[in-house]
Amino acid sequence: MDILQNLMFGFEHALTLQNLLFCAIGCVVGTLVGLLPGLGPLATISLLLPLTYSIPVQGALIMLAGIYYGAQYGDSVSAITMKIPHASSIVACIDGYQLTLKGKTGLALFTAGVSSFIGGTVAIVVLAALAPALGEVALMFGPTDYTSLMLFGFVCVSFVTTGSLLNGLSMCFIGVLLGQIGTDVNSGTLRYTLGFPFLADGIGVVSIALGCFGIAEITKNLDSKEDRSPFRGKIHLIPTWREFKRIIPSALRGSAVGSFLGILPGGGPVIAQFAAYALDKKVSKYKHEVGKGSIEGVAGQAAADEAAARTSFIPLMSIGIPENAVMALMMAAFIIKGIQPGPNMISGHPELFWGLVASMWIGNCFLLALNVPLVRYWLSVFKIPYKVLFPAILFFCCIGTYSVNNSLEDVFVTAGFGLIGYLFLRLELDPAPLMLGFILGPMLEENFRRSLLLSRGSFTTFFTHPISATLLSIIGLFVAWQIVTFFWRSTRRASEIPVPAAVEE
Amino acid sequence: MNRNLARGLALTAIALLFGLGALRYPIGELERAGPGLFPLVVSSLLFLLGLTTLIRSFLTERVRLEFRVKNIVIILASLSGFALLSEYVNMIVGITFLVFCAMLADPPYSVKRNAAITAVLLAIAFAFHSLLGLQLPLY
Repeated sequence: MDILQNLMFGFEHALTLQNLLFCAIGCVVGTLVGLLPGLGPLATISLLLPLTYSIPVQGALIMLAGIYYGAQYGDSVSAITMKIPHASSIVACIDGYQLTLKGKTGLALFTAGVSSFIGGTVAIVVLAALAPALGEVALMFGPTDYTSLMLFGFVCVSFVTTGSLLNGLSMCFIGVLLGQIGTDVNSGTLRYTLGFPFLADGIGVVSIALGCFGIAEITKNLDSKEDRSPFRGKIHLIPTWREFKRIIPSALRGSAVGSFLGILPGGGPVIAQFAAYALDKKVSKYKHEVGKGSIEGVAGQAAADEAAARTSFIPLMSIGIPENAVMALMMAAFIIKGIQPGPNMISGHPELFWGLVASMWIGNCFLLALNVPLVRYWLSVFKIPYKVLFPAILFFCCIGTYSVNNSLEDVFVTAGFGLIGYLFLRLELDPAPLMLGFILGPMLEENFRRSLLLSRGSFTTFFTHPISATLLSIIGLFVAWQIVTFFWRSTRRASEIPVPAAVEE
Repeated sequence: MNRNLARGLALTAIALLFGLGALRYPIGELERAGPGLFPLVVSSLLFLLGLTTLIRSFLTERVRLEFRVKNIVIILASLSGFALLSEYVNMIVGITFLVFCAMLADPPYSVKRNAAITAVLLAIAFAFHSLLGLQLPLY
């Protein structure tokens, strides 16, 4: 009953005219930008972050969340109709695009819309039930546990998003080091500022995000120079009853998978999509059709996508540690608005927390109403050629960076990170873990120094606290497993090829 | 150039850059960490990861590093030009330069189309300025 009461309390706050408006704007703008090629949720949020500066706190958070799940949804539309995968909607390309090839785009879009709605609704119940409970667990965490938890998060994110622990972890650490630039809060020392006064406050998160995800992506797209033909097919939205009946079970399965995977560190929409898709391929009644353009192949992953997008707020809001790069950016946005997400947020600002949760369901309704009947108008976004689009995106990157501090120096920083991000892309290094490291860096340092202070300089403190020791041993096992499989594979390959390549260590 | 090798070199270089930089700040003791301690620890870890990447690059297959200078230079030039012109002239000139310079990256070049895009973007900038209250130094 508590949940119901809390949710009602949340709706009271979310249903004011002003907040409804912010929620609607967030969903619309998020979907619109999410549809554009080359801009995933990370770039979308950082691009639109400056818009929220002049808005009251609650409205800003509601709008940001709307932008996030709107972008997530817009991504899947572009994946279904044109097979343009952003990192966040690769799975939607498989069956969704197959359905488009069969001329059933409308069915695919309808399925995706309805399943997203189901997934979002389930996730909000999970969010409302779990976040306060987890918040109480978080109060047992000391600084050592936080340090280890962050490292654990780095390892999980690295492995899940990049597939390579080595590359991902390196990017996390580079992010942490970039977070060191600026004034040390404990001693007041200026670190790595190279004598530039504007670096004393550190590098802006918007500059890094727009540089690495906006400008670097644009350049990469220009390099590859693909011609994309806009979608011109007919859209017949309303499915038959038989088709409709097939959506429900698969969407419910997807919601469960997505809600669960959204909570785990390193989890989030992408892995949830893959898991839900794999599950449908195994257990669905129509599993022989999955992969060739089936309803289940779209419904399960779309539900999981939206469910995970919402439940991934749980670790952020209850423990205060974002579990992936998008949530890290959200956390930065919360902090800019003066709210420190964490166990104290729910008790300290219940109206913000429950208002946000309630607004997510309202946003769900908006997305359904906006996108399913109106999807053909959204698709006209694709008729804008990239030639016209990329100068406009550059322009928004410039304006976005500038308006954070009204400083043109920040535009140079963004340009610099555009170059760095481009080099990273060419070196096959994914900038998403960098983002997480950058935002968690100061917190990691704070907790690291505090642990050492409490233990009088002894490193064993990380192994004597049970939570921390458990997390660190999982990391140790994981790293060992990675090393063993690498050498096992390379010796097997070496035995196939006669040239010996045995190098110790 | 081998991409895996280049990656290892880049990572070790970044680690050295930050690690040597950290030595310039007081390290302190473990009990009372100075501002240099934490960056030193992190860059040492990064250095280890970089070394591992280097060693690994000799054990795995070579991948060619693809790199094109032209587009990234054009994009960076247009951004820097935008910032400089907005600082010293005004943002209208800056935006115009941004569009006309960035379009070099995607030929064929058309002055007429560029002018149209510039006009639309300027209209958006003015709307931001007057409706959303962004402090843009437009003129």
